[in-house]
Amino acid sequence: MLNDIYLLKDLSILNAHLAQHYSVVRLAKDTDGEVTWTEQAGATSAPLFGHANLPLTSPKAFFFPEQESLYKFDGKTFETIHPKVKPIVLFGVQACDLTAIAYQDQFFKHDPYYQTRRDSVLLVGIDCEAPCKNGFCAEVNAGPHVNSATADLILSRLKIDDRTNTSEWLIVASSEKGVDSLRDLTLEKADEGHFKLRTKLGDQVRSQFADFSYISNAIEYLNDKSIPAQLWEELSVRCLSCSGCTNLCPTCSCYSTFEVIEAEPISNTLEFETVRCWDSCLFESFQREASDHNPSHKAAQRVERFWFHKFSDEYLPEFERHGCVGCGRCEQTCPGTIGVHSVMKRIDEVCCN
Amino acid sequence: MLQLTPQTIRIVDFYDDGTDSRHFTFEPIGFALESPIAIGQFFMLTVPSRGLAPFTYTSFPDEQGRFNALIRKVGKLTDQLFTCKKGDLLGYNGPYGNGWPLAEINQKEVLIVAGGCGLAPVTTAIDYLIDQGRANSVTLLYASRDQESQVLKQERERWQSKINVYETLDIQGDKDHSGLPTEHLSAVLNKVDHHPDILLTCGPEAMMSNVAKMCVDLGFKSTDIWMSIERRMRCGVGLCGHCYIGSTYACKQGPTYRYDEFLALEKANTVAHLYPQYFQYC
Repeated sequence: MLNDIYLLKDLSILNAHLAQHYSVVRLAKDTDGEVTWTEQAGATSAPLFGHANLPLTSPKAFFFPEQESLYKFDGKTFETIHPKVKPIVLFGVQACDLTAIAYQDQFFKHDPYYQTRRDSVLLVGIDCEAPCKNGFCAEVNAGPHVNSATADLILSRLKIDDRTNTSEWLIVASSEKGVDSLRDLTLEKADEGHFKLRTKLGDQVRSQFADFSYISNAIEYLNDKSIPAQLWEELSVRCLSCSGCTNLCPTCSCYSTFEVIEAEPISNTLEFETVRCWDSCLFESFQREASDHNPSHKAAQRVERFWFHKFSDEYLPEFERHGCVGCGRCEQTCPGTIGVHSVMKRIDEVCCN
Repeated sequence: MLQLTPQTIRIVDFYDDGTDSRHFTFEPIGFALESPIAIGQFFMLTVPSRGLAPFTYTSFPDEQGRFNALIRKVGKLTDQLFTCKKGDLLGYNGPYGNGWPLAEINQKEVLIVAGGCGLAPVTTAIDYLIDQGRANSVTLLYASRDQESQVLKQERERWQSKINVYETLDIQGDKDHSGLPTEHLSAVLNKVDHHPDILLTCGPEAMMSNVAKMCVDLGFKSTDIWMSIERRMRCGVGLCGHCYIGSTYACKQGPTYRYDEFLALEKANTVAHLYPQYFQYC
């Protein structure tokens, strides 16, 4: 990898270079202060950092859209509706969301829709420089620095010169796609010293995180099954089944399907399109069968299920990590205050006594 | 890559087969059912405008690719299906899931306990064993609500002279033929010459759970008890997430589960799933 590390003072040079081949999507703050992924051609400013401006939504919808047509029926045959894609560069994705994308890459490995979208995207990661408000990526091995297996290019700010208001960036091409994307761009080579500085800075950020040992403890309690059922009952009273957590969670991927029926079919037959849309395991109807048998009819079962899916060791053989990447969005959004910090703290309190 | 787009099948024929139940014959249009289908596997049936749901095969494809499925009308999708006519087109994906354990049932004396429509997923297993010349090794205990709701009449008549068949009804039956299957298990086992040592069961989950427990008490090893579990599904290929059982998906790692493994999956949760005291056969 040390062959593919470079130095750059002005990131707009890289931005402009990539813009020749890709639509550039970066974080942008709107007038209400909302941070979203937005297509920005010809941006010259440095990208927004996720640690200071965590977007409410992760980039998961770029690969697994909230609604997506799968196939259509013309009265005679079914025909696949292939996703329309264009090359996109996601410029400046923080480590936790990149870890989540890698997790979903594994989950949707054989899903043709996901993979078509995914193949068209170049991921440019950015190293976070401080813990974010609800984040605990370091505790779940998902940041604060970008894991090179999860991005094509990594941006890491090594120095800021306040006097001239300039920065020095280390650029790491961490995949073949990343190396290809830099072709024909003349960049100054970096050396091992720069790479070591990046590691040192990462360690510094890591040391700034608060003590999240209650999260690690709770993961252990969850896996040795010592959480009393009563605690899940207590927590589930506060679940409004709003699906905020599952929508915002960058690794949640459950979906449902529905049919859009053609109102005026060309022929005298029933024509329709099947669409998939995000679903939530916290909905009462998620597992309810036509006969009304519902294996997860209790809210406590569903709340336990959600956290089991995020933290159970039973998923390690398939994903080599837990489903939670420590972004803290569930904590931020849950109207019933049973996001990750609240739940893990409560588990730790109850189980350590 | 997975194929989520269905292929077209046509309704060749159907006949009423028990209360609200029909036995359908389907045939593929413009494609061949190439991959071999294992006993106890399922397919996803798309009913235009109503989405898709899993159903089991009650016969394997013949030379023309025609196969059967027993379907009971219980919800929106099946309501719509029951308005379909011969010749109407539907969607098909499959075969999916893991079926009954072939290697084990080839070597053992087989007890089958089915409830209601739960007879459908064991049909191909029974026919397979009969074809293998092992009819003597099969005992079926079939439980249903009442006589009218018993399904697969033709198949049961065909089996009558070949395998040991015992039937029980919730209502209507005489003393020896009424009540839950668990009320008859010991008696059935005492009557048969070859003592069964493997159980295949399909029906309401509460029934399967009670039958499995009783069979363990009666000396079956939990590794010789297999149940076919029903879950709501939206894809059949392990993506939509609906059919979870612990860390598995019923469509991929199931729908056939070994009892000890099923119990271990359930134990992953501390909130117990309590089966209702009363259940109805579907």
